[in-house]
Amino acid sequence: MAKTNLLEELKKRPLLCDGAMGTQLFIRGLAAGACGELWNVGRPEVVQEVHRAYRQAGCDLITTNTFGASSAALGKHGLSDQTATLNRTGAAAAIREATPDAWVLGDVGPFGEFIEPLGDMKAEELLEIFGEQAAALYAAGVDAIIIETMSDPTELEVAVKAAKRASAKPVIATYAFADGGGGSFRTMMGTPVKDAIARAIAAGADVVGANCGSSLSLSDYVNLAEQIVAAAGKTPVIVQPNAGSPMLLDGKLVYRAKPEDMTAAVPSLLKTGVRIIGGCCGTTPSHLRAMGEAMRRETVG
Amino acid sequence: MVNLQNLADAIKVGNRAEATKLTRQAIDEKVGAKEILEAMVGAMDEIGKKFQRNEVFVPEMLIASRAMKESMAVLEPLLVKAGIKPAFTAVIGTVAGDLHDIGKNLVAMMWKGANFGVVDLGTNVSPEKFLAAAKEHKARVVGLSALLTTTMPAMKQTVAALRAANLAGLKVVIGGAPITQEFATEIGADAFAPDAASAVEMVRKLMVA
Repeated sequence: MAKTNLLEELKKRPLLCDGAMGTQLFIRGLAAGACGELWNVGRPEVVQEVHRAYRQAGCDLITTNTFGASSAALGKHGLSDQTATLNRTGAAAAIREATPDAWVLGDVGPFGEFIEPLGDMKAEELLEIFGEQAAALYAAGVDAIIIETMSDPTELEVAVKAAKRASAKPVIATYAFADGGGGSFRTMMGTPVKDAIARAIAAGADVVGANCGSSLSLSDYVNLAEQIVAAAGKTPVIVQPNAGSPMLLDGKLVYRAKPEDMTAAVPSLLKTGVRIIGGCCGTTPSHLRAMGEAMRRETVG
Repeated sequence: MVNLQNLADAIKVGNRAEATKLTRQAIDEKVGAKEILEAMVGAMDEIGKKFQRNEVFVPEMLIASRAMKESMAVLEPLLVKAGIKPAFTAVIGTVAGDLHDIGKNLVAMMWKGANFGVVDLGTNVSPEKFLAAAKEHKARVVGLSALLTTTMPAMKQTVAALRAANLAGLKVVIGGAPITQEFATEIGADAFAPDAASAVEMVRKLMVA
């Protein structure tokens, strides 16, 4: 059975995206500070194992392990010359597990510095950098690109343009928001929800939304989702919350939200009009399985 | 006659060319180095306060800091000649295992803008390196940053290492996206700064206390 276009499918039913990759790799022995994308080459079976767990949990969308695989972000590890390889192998690992029914999202994260005049990066140069990553992901066969955890709408615009130049396939674009006071939310750069979403859509994003974020509880996320849906108009919305805020317990990091807490948020999120729900930092296949079950209960019942 | 208020205004809006021009002019007109410096620091303080009131955001803070930095470079030789030195030194870095530096850089900029002496150790800094730098520079403050939740344990180890060395009067300030006051208290840091502007305030308070 040939898969339908992701955007067509979204018109029919809400979809479940996957959860965290980074925190899953840490559990499997990735050292803090090490480049997780290197495992696409060095330990592809582990990356695949995470994808498989999310797929078995019922996720419709599988995200490649390429968040930090732009040449700029890889440069912090001295690995810029590995850009093509790490994106290709990352896409391959996800595709192997997603086939035949799930869609593969090629993951693109922030480049790690500021664009001129705030920093030294030129927008044209960044367009090339994101373009190189998008081209490598598409060449390997991803179904769409997800640009995530953005703070600067200008950077997000550049990334969306780069992806759209590389292919006509759908582009999902999400910001990391934080509490902006008085029930509002802003990105780290101070951009309010309405402006941030409008700029993402104007740049050509097909799906817009939020992932990760600082100190946002699940109920904050429901409020945030409401505001994003209002700002997005007809454009479908995705949200991928963290499993609550982390705390340190006996020297170990623990995310407070349990699968049942995430499940409880699902009906409220769907009620706001969100079309894709997934997870970010601290979420596990168990969280996603529970969320998927809640999603099906809501949409069937 | 140069108006130092204009210099402060140029820094606040991040007009680098104007800010450096007015600094040069003030120097040429023999305005005291201390007076010029105070105008600059005052401008950055005002930006910090506006930031805390959600009136300006990171971009405004960044461009003001850049204007401040370039003006300071112009003023530097005069400060050296006049023997005007920062009252204390603060060491800053992102903890081991974490390569993120945006938050750390913002704090370093604001600390420099407040005329603290700043030693920036960069990212992925081990507890030993923090300790060695604190000793070497006789630091009064060490600032620890983390973005990854997975590196929060490294922050705890760094605080423990600094405490174990028992350096007289040393204060530790921590911050970063996943950090909370609760966490700061738990690991024994002296203060938690939720943002770069608060980081300036926290250090000033700790240095008075």
